[in-house]
Amino acid sequence: MRKNLHHLLIWLFMVIFPISLFAQNRTVTGTVTAGNNAPVPGATIVVKNTSQAVASDGNGKFTISVAENADLIISAIGYKTQTIHVSGNSLQITLAEDVSRLDEVVVTGLSTTVKRKNLSNAVSVIGAKELSGTAPAQTFDSALEGKIPGANINSNSGSPGGGVSVKLRGVTSVYGNTQPLYVVDGVYLDNTATSGGLNAVTQAGATGTTSTQDNPSSRIADLRAEDIENIEILKGASAAAIYGSKASGGVIIITTKRGKQGKTNISLSQDIGFLRPIKLLGVRQFTAETAGSLSRDPATSAALTSQFTAAQSKGEIYDYEKEIYDHTPFTRNTVLSMSGGNEKTGFYFSVAQKDENGLVQRTGYDNTSVRLNVDHKVSDNIKLGLSTNYVNSSADRGLFGNDNAGVTTGIALSSTPDFAQLHPDAKGDYPNNPFAASNPLQTIALMQNNESVNRFIMGANLDVILQKSNRSNTKFVGRGGFDFYNLQTNVLFPSVLQFEAINKGESIQGSTKNLNTNYILSLVNTFTPSDKISLTTSAGITQETGDYNNLLDVATQVISGQSNVDQAGALNATQLRTKYLNSGIFIQEEASIVNAVTLTGGLRLDRSSNNGDVSKYYYYPKAGISWNLTDMGIVKQGLFESIKLRAAYGQANNVPAYGSKFTAFGVSNISGFPGLLINTQEGQADIKPERQTEFETGIDFSLLKGRLGFELTYYKKNISDFLLLTTPPPSSGFAQEWQNAGNLTNSGIELGMNARPVESKNIVWNTSIGFWLNRSKVTKLNVPPVQLGSVGGVLLGEYQIEQGKSATQIIGLNGTGVGVLGNAEPRFQMNTYNEVTFFNKLSLRFLIHWKYGGQNVDVTQLQNVFGGTSVDYDKPTASGLPYGVTQLMKVGSDAHQTVETSTYLRFREIGLYYTFKNLPVSYVKSVTVGASLNNYITITKYKGYDPEVSNFGTGFSQGIDIDPYPSNKRAALHVSFNF
Amino acid sequence: MQKNIKIYSILFLAASLSFTACKKDYGNLNNATVEDLSKNASQSELNNLVSGTESGMRNALNFYLDDVSIIGRETYRFSGSEPRYVLDLLGANSAQLTGDNFYISFPWAAKYKVVKNCNLLIQIAGNSSLITDAQKKGYIGFARTIKAYQLLLNLNLTYTNGIRVNVADPNHLGPIVDYNAGLTAITALLDSAKNDLSTATVSFPLAGFAGLDDAAGLTKFNRALAARVSLYQKNWQTALDDLNASFFRLTTNFNTGAYHMFGTGSGDQLNPVFIPQNQTGEVRVAHPSYAADIATGDDRINKTSLRTSPAALSGLSSDRDVWLYTSSTAPVGIIRNEELILIYAEANIQLNNFVEGVKAINVIRNGHGLGNYAGAVTQPALITEMLNQRRYSLFFEGHRWIDLRRYDLLNTLPLDRPDDDVWSLFPLPVTEH
Repeated sequence: MRKNLHHLLIWLFMVIFPISLFAQNRTVTGTVTAGNNAPVPGATIVVKNTSQAVASDGNGKFTISVAENADLIISAIGYKTQTIHVSGNSLQITLAEDVSRLDEVVVTGLSTTVKRKNLSNAVSVIGAKELSGTAPAQTFDSALEGKIPGANINSNSGSPGGGVSVKLRGVTSVYGNTQPLYVVDGVYLDNTATSGGLNAVTQAGATGTTSTQDNPSSRIADLRAEDIENIEILKGASAAAIYGSKASGGVIIITTKRGKQGKTNISLSQDIGFLRPIKLLGVRQFTAETAGSLSRDPATSAALTSQFTAAQSKGEIYDYEKEIYDHTPFTRNTVLSMSGGNEKTGFYFSVAQKDENGLVQRTGYDNTSVRLNVDHKVSDNIKLGLSTNYVNSSADRGLFGNDNAGVTTGIALSSTPDFAQLHPDAKGDYPNNPFAASNPLQTIALMQNNESVNRFIMGANLDVILQKSNRSNTKFVGRGGFDFYNLQTNVLFPSVLQFEAINKGESIQGSTKNLNTNYILSLVNTFTPSDKISLTTSAGITQETGDYNNLLDVATQVISGQSNVDQAGALNATQLRTKYLNSGIFIQEEASIVNAVTLTGGLRLDRSSNNGDVSKYYYYPKAGISWNLTDMGIVKQGLFESIKLRAAYGQANNVPAYGSKFTAFGVSNISGFPGLLINTQEGQADIKPERQTEFETGIDFSLLKGRLGFELTYYKKNISDFLLLTTPPPSSGFAQEWQNAGNLTNSGIELGMNARPVESKNIVWNTSIGFWLNRSKVTKLNVPPVQLGSVGGVLLGEYQIEQGKSATQIIGLNGTGVGVLGNAEPRFQMNTYNEVTFFNKLSLRFLIHWKYGGQNVDVTQLQNVFGGTSVDYDKPTASGLPYGVTQLMKVGSDAHQTVETSTYLRFREIGLYYTFKNLPVSYVKSVTVGASLNNYITITKYKGYDPEVSNFGTGFSQGIDIDPYPSNKRAALHVSFNF
Repeated sequence: MQKNIKIYSILFLAASLSFTACKKDYGNLNNATVEDLSKNASQSELNNLVSGTESGMRNALNFYLDDVSIIGRETYRFSGSEPRYVLDLLGANSAQLTGDNFYISFPWAAKYKVVKNCNLLIQIAGNSSLITDAQKKGYIGFARTIKAYQLLLNLNLTYTNGIRVNVADPNHLGPIVDYNAGLTAITALLDSAKNDLSTATVSFPLAGFAGLDDAAGLTKFNRALAARVSLYQKNWQTALDDLNASFFRLTTNFNTGAYHMFGTGSGDQLNPVFIPQNQTGEVRVAHPSYAADIATGDDRINKTSLRTSPAALSGLSSDRDVWLYTSSTAPVGIIRNEELILIYAEANIQLNNFVEGVKAINVIRNGHGLGNYAGAVTQPALITEMLNQRRYSLFFEGHRWIDLRRYDLLNTLPLDRPDDDVWSLFPLPVTEH
């Protein structure tokens, strides 16, 4: 194969012809406007068959020098591309709005693009306005929520600093990576969640310093949404095969803003706002009698009763839930951006600073980001683009979630009644909480759980035209970059904390360095033998590396007031490294026939140092066809603006986790003797990547000159040899073993509609509606059913991977035994994004998201029942027993009460903006003011804080709800000045 | 231009050739692997495996001790975050013990992990050409002894549900054998270890085997364990023979023996069953019957300490903390002379040597501030007395439940709530089937 490839590369050079340059002898000026005579800034004007291009300025004006009889191609995002013949020296170009977005350019290869109307996949695109222009979210990842048809996106918790799980078209892996690959301007971003070591205190996972339940943020949250021009989402292998071994979770391609030729544009925007809790659960109102009933021991019961009466007489009854969560913290965000350029060089520069407090005292998030994107034309044939981004972010996340030590805020609150006395005395000393292992007020006031990141991302993009003739055009495209960050985690529990009686103070300091690099070198040839046919051939090589190094020091018996790990009586250090190198070769051929039929075929070969066989190439083919019936002339343009049939097929894979091929020893020391103890994980020397095969087909059509467009898609994904950490019999000495354990399928539909129901001189209403659903099934499993995501096993509900069943089923006790109680997969989801513009100045935008069906394992409310503090504990029931008691009686025989439907209808974003133009001061072009609400209205019957929750992180086990940081809703005022 | 193209193409071809030549296997960057050690392990690597084995024995110790002590109504474990201690283990309402819960899966897996480490130690020591035969015997004798002990602890939990003995090959595990076959296999392992140790040189350090850390000492430790197993097998005379070859002394040196040590060093562990006095939320308290049934003047009351306020959960309460381990680095006994004295008493009583039996019981009684035994000198009366001494001498060391099961007396344990149950065995972990 390798040899053949080289033949092919040589062939590519055979078709190269010398470049012939056009004579330039005429200067023309022009104005680009939209239908309503508003200027279109940033439109690209290209002289046909040349690389000569300019952009329109803020007033839509441009100047270009062209040859006699030249044609100009004018394109702008959101408008239909137009080709005009140059006649005269002054041009007036009116662009038609591309309501159905047929002319939008979409990435289809590693170095090629295609117009949407010729696309064989359903690729979702999110523009800047939808991403951050309505009601900005705290972090980039949460800004995606509810916006991608075919995706199941879920916040992990309300902790400041993000942490969102994104699953495109169902679960694509069980134990492998389920998250998509994020590519920013050609750089593959690292999205590792690094634990700060909270497990050392919470013991939420069985052993060790870290667990998946430590609620770390996701590193993708570091990005600033304001810098992003658009996002393209390749949802499965049929679109993403060319990304090979990292693409099985889909690929999210992020393009940041770039400078365009023209007057320098400066924009300063300022947001201020506040957060509120979405919901509080409420607390039980105790009476002397119910206080006494907390214990069945007569003496204890009497003591509790007298405690209650004493507290009541002093007026010392507190709603601690309110006291801890019911705050209105302040948020602010400032963004200054500049963009501009001349014919050779363009730049985009931004500096942004965000500071948000959290609902809980001493938590919060801040992020400072600087971006500089520079594009430079070395010559007519050589273009260089650089993207650089520095981010400094810091999140104080508090102590929340699952816990087996009674220390997290929610768990401690669950057993603390309203007559408990937790407030500090006059000296500031907090009393011990007799009802739990910790005093949450003390914990919040004194502990620290901070993640701070310094991150530098740099990408470079080199386009060299090697050859150009009337029929053939060959270029070299090189893309690459690196993503480096240093993450410090700082977790501190001073010795005075109630639960530090044994460890006498803990300081857990983590330091993580991560460097990812990647490059793509490719040759792209476009061969146009006639007007009717065009062939684009691309071929190249890729390489990705990752090097992750995490040091975690757990110091105990920390000297009072100190946090350095050496200021301690004992120190326990761990280090974790992972390193990989993936390399690939790809070739892709796209053929466009009479501009109506597009055929795509591609092949990627990939190998990875994580595979059992490091030298073996795995191959991933893809193929696609799109057939535009209107462009073909089969259906006359009229009612239909465009009808397109499309089908695509592709394969991608997911490499095994680092180290899954080794059976290793862990360190287990005793009395100063270094010890080696076998790890719980048995290695699989011949581990293979899991392979995904996806087929999708659909029909896209637009009516009424594009005012109404539909996109209907069906897909089926087969994941074969999926990676599973199986549970061998523990008597083998191993608790886990990596296996390529079986096959699963996902199939689903995605329906999209774009419409412009109202288009008048003064009012324009654009709307889009999405509907999507996914169903999964485990078609083969070589091992006995495997349970995951267990908080309390079948007692409370857990996931079970089982042949013939949905991959996301939740099983549990059903009253007569163990049965299926639910499924994390929603029955369907819908969203609608709307923008209504009045008089071209006032804009109302809103996004509504409806998730119907799907269950969570909601332990939060039951935890309060266990602790005797649930708000409806004393509610009378038909049986005469209080409601709380009836709930407790079900535990052990019926888990229906914890496997809870998480349907919700959420007004994700509402924004109202007004733009002032024609201002009295000439140097201010426009001022926009606005107000926005984010996640402000949620309609749900769900009993926990938020139906959108996933306390076990971004892996497979979504929707576990166990005393998370309560979710917030956001309100903000915005003002931005354009200079 | 043509020339440029040639240069480009040569560069490109060169790049792709060098690229395709570049494949990497980084190996395991984080820790030693079985494959590495299996080649030809050095003495220091083997010593690391010994220390890892000794260290690993401490894993999940708290779950084992809580399991046995809670069902044996020695202690309660109140936890705000873990209701199964007071529900499943005590059989509250209709709760049952099931094989998918931590109380069986954690200790079971932890013991078998040590068994695996022992099997690897045997295999790796066997493969090593860098040590003498006598040293080899030392590693193997140690590994077999510890393996037998770990299997015994699991068999204590699952009782007639049995254990798997032959687990060297993870892909072809041996069958699950019943209780008696399990004990037989454990005895055989201990005997073969004794045989290994008879010609062994011990060239590895041990942490918790003060005075027992050479070949002779490890043999004594081995025989002490064998005595315990013989007792379970009702092989009374064998038990006495085993005691003779062990560190048994009929004196008040009750605490002579082998221990799990704890420390604050890096990679070390703290005592997992230490909880300070008067905690709330996470507490371990003595069953109220411990103080209620104890004889006046018995100093073993000090294994518990009176709380400033009682702890209560789920209809259970107690005013005494378990205070057997008074610091986070206090060692936990594996087998102590106090147990050996009681084995001596039991075997003699069973063999109708009442004089020796009473003598041993009096050593225990006198050592704890009590006068000589004054009850009837009959086998039933002495068994009752012996079991009572075992209850107090070996409190929270994992014996009472097993002792009462041996004598079919589980029905004599108190039930604190109307629907509670006393379980006689744990189910096998679900993943074991």
